[in-house]
Amino acid sequence: MGTVHAKAQADNVSTVGGLFELDEPDTLEVAIPKPTIKLNGVRARVDRVHVDGLSRTKDDIVRSAVDELFHATDFEDVILKAHKARRSLDSLGCFKDIGVYIDVSSGPGSTPEGLEVTFQVRELSRIVGGINTTVSENEGNLVLGVRLPNVAGRGERVSAEYSVGHRSSSNFSVAATKPFPKSALEPVVTTSVYQQNHEYPWSGYRLLDRGVLLDVAFRTSPATKHNLQWEGTVRDASVLSKTTSFKVRESSGPVLKSVIRHIVTVDHRDEAIFPTHGTRVQFSSELAGLGGGVANIKTELQAEANKEIVPGVVVQLTGAAGVLHDVFGTEIPELFYLGGPATIRGFQQRGAGPHCDGLATGGTMYWASGLHLYTPLPFQPGKGGLGELFRSHLFLNGGCLAHPEEKTQAIIESLSSVRVSCGAGVALRLGRVARVELNYCFPLRAAAGDAPAPGIQLGVSAHFL
Amino acid sequence: MPEMSLKDSIITSLSAQEPWPDNVKLFQPYEVEQILLPDNASCLAVQAFLKMCNLPFEVEMRWNAEFMSPSGRVPFIKCGAFVVSELEPIVQFAANKGVSLCSKLSTEERAEMRAYMSLITNVLVNAELYISWVDQDTYNTVTRIRNSSVYPWPLGWIQTRSKRNAVIKRLKALHWYDKTLEQVLADVEQCCNSLSQRLGDKDYFFGTPTELDALVFGHVFTIITTRLPCRKLADTVRRHVSLVALAKRVDEQYFKRA
Repeated sequence: MGTVHAKAQADNVSTVGGLFELDEPDTLEVAIPKPTIKLNGVRARVDRVHVDGLSRTKDDIVRSAVDELFHATDFEDVILKAHKARRSLDSLGCFKDIGVYIDVSSGPGSTPEGLEVTFQVRELSRIVGGINTTVSENEGNLVLGVRLPNVAGRGERVSAEYSVGHRSSSNFSVAATKPFPKSALEPVVTTSVYQQNHEYPWSGYRLLDRGVLLDVAFRTSPATKHNLQWEGTVRDASVLSKTTSFKVRESSGPVLKSVIRHIVTVDHRDEAIFPTHGTRVQFSSELAGLGGGVANIKTELQAEANKEIVPGVVVQLTGAAGVLHDVFGTEIPELFYLGGPATIRGFQQRGAGPHCDGLATGGTMYWASGLHLYTPLPFQPGKGGLGELFRSHLFLNGGCLAHPEEKTQAIIESLSSVRVSCGAGVALRLGRVARVELNYCFPLRAAAGDAPAPGIQLGVSAHFL
Repeated sequence: MPEMSLKDSIITSLSAQEPWPDNVKLFQPYEVEQILLPDNASCLAVQAFLKMCNLPFEVEMRWNAEFMSPSGRVPFIKCGAFVVSELEPIVQFAANKGVSLCSKLSTEERAEMRAYMSLITNVLVNAELYISWVDQDTYNTVTRIRNSSVYPWPLGWIQTRSKRNAVIKRLKALHWYDKTLEQVLADVEQCCNSLSQRLGDKDYFFGTPTELDALVFGHVFTIITTRLPCRKLADTVRRHVSLVALAKRVDEQYFKRA
């Protein structure tokens, strides 16, 4: 019988367009010839399941992934369940590729309607390494990465990354992940240790973060993802130059912070970058202050809705809001900032909101939103190929950030002093996680002290407003 | 990390020529629970210098004064838009504003004063660092507790450890770490000897108060008034009566707590 080649999407989102997806997610859709015989009329049962190519992956997790196949009653059921089993094998993160072969069973113990299902798997190599260079606005970095997939045979991963910058700053992170595919809600536990250097020239400070992050991720429905996290960091802030505003200078020094965080994401979009329909809502709440020198409560909401009005033309509405309540010790690096190519375009990075001596000093409340109209590139060059990576868009952004020291009345006032900008540009998809935008922006409304940046603006980010 | 560019120093020297403002603040660590012997000495020296110059200032205590300081050391002053740290740059800064204590001194006397000041930074400061961070008794009962008092656990432990490593690294580079306590005290003795010889029976080293007097006052006063488990350093300094008298004189004249 035939070979079923199937490849699940990396993220297990609900599939559209047929039972089987494509070999390569990037190639265009090829019409799958629909079978003309009624498969659900053919009685069948699975006698045997073979899994070929296992060497260090443990039997128990493979067995629980394919177990359901034995409950199939007709041929369609076998195919459906084989596909499902294939997906759950794929989601273990142990295999490079998986082939499924279905054949009639023969030999001793075979039944008249019996089938044999063979999964041909190739395990990921024991160690995967990489070396690359990155350039950010202040510094060039050399990044060394090592990944050990499926270390102990049950989908555990260890990954480490180390980067050195030419200005002698070094960052590293080591993360260990263990999935629990057999427990309820299939949680994935991640522990990581990191050290990160970051410079924020718009606010005049530099941060050196060293910390530990424990994360438990689980899904309560296919589209709903929860993350429960605890993070303990030592955040060492220092100013960038001798002439940095004294307000920023006051917040320098090492601070210990212990945070409990809950992030819930409901994602009904068809794609992470350039979706054509669906909504996404992310709500994160964090509580700092169980130990450490910082205590505050922070909540943030991000939402996005997409609708295709004409084929190829998508309207997107986005919104974000956040509130921070300081109990004690909340300094400039903790606050919210607004402005820049990823939030309110047409402003400098962190350019909307309170400033002191030309440096952004942040706020405790904000809201921001954006309205986009995405279309393919004009005249659609490279249609069906390279051109699919690009979109042109028109946008309108608005938002506001309130000053931390103001009283209730003033907060309401400053939350209504809206910054507005509009413009047009081209967006380029980078893989399935990030995008680059080149825009021409017109800041329409700015408040006193803001730093608008009319003209051409380039931005790279995973999340855009 | 403290960073100083050429541009910054040019700006500082160009625009620092305006008169001394009224709202100058001196930042230092908390005197009661946090400050350590070497820091206290230098804070007191700067305070004495500013008082000798009759420049108004206000003392503000911050837990993170050390990290706010552009050089990473306390104390520092905030004068308008400028932040200047440690005694010598502050002296220079005041001189730019036309306030100087050594204007009547000859070139030789100024050179002599510099030599004595660097003698103090090379001997007394290192001896204070040695006593605070290397002497086990003092480290365990005083330095460790005071230095970590402003941080929550376990940050206090981490910070104290890394600061101790930095101090030990510095002392090792200067070949002070290998010395025994006796050798350190002998160096202090020698330093105090040459200081008291220079002072003789005068009220101040050069007749009128200078930054050298402020520096000597800062160190001698701090060493003889700070209670430490290791009393040998204080005893060594206290034996030099003229230096103690100078410290008392400055204290009475400029720090009257009436």
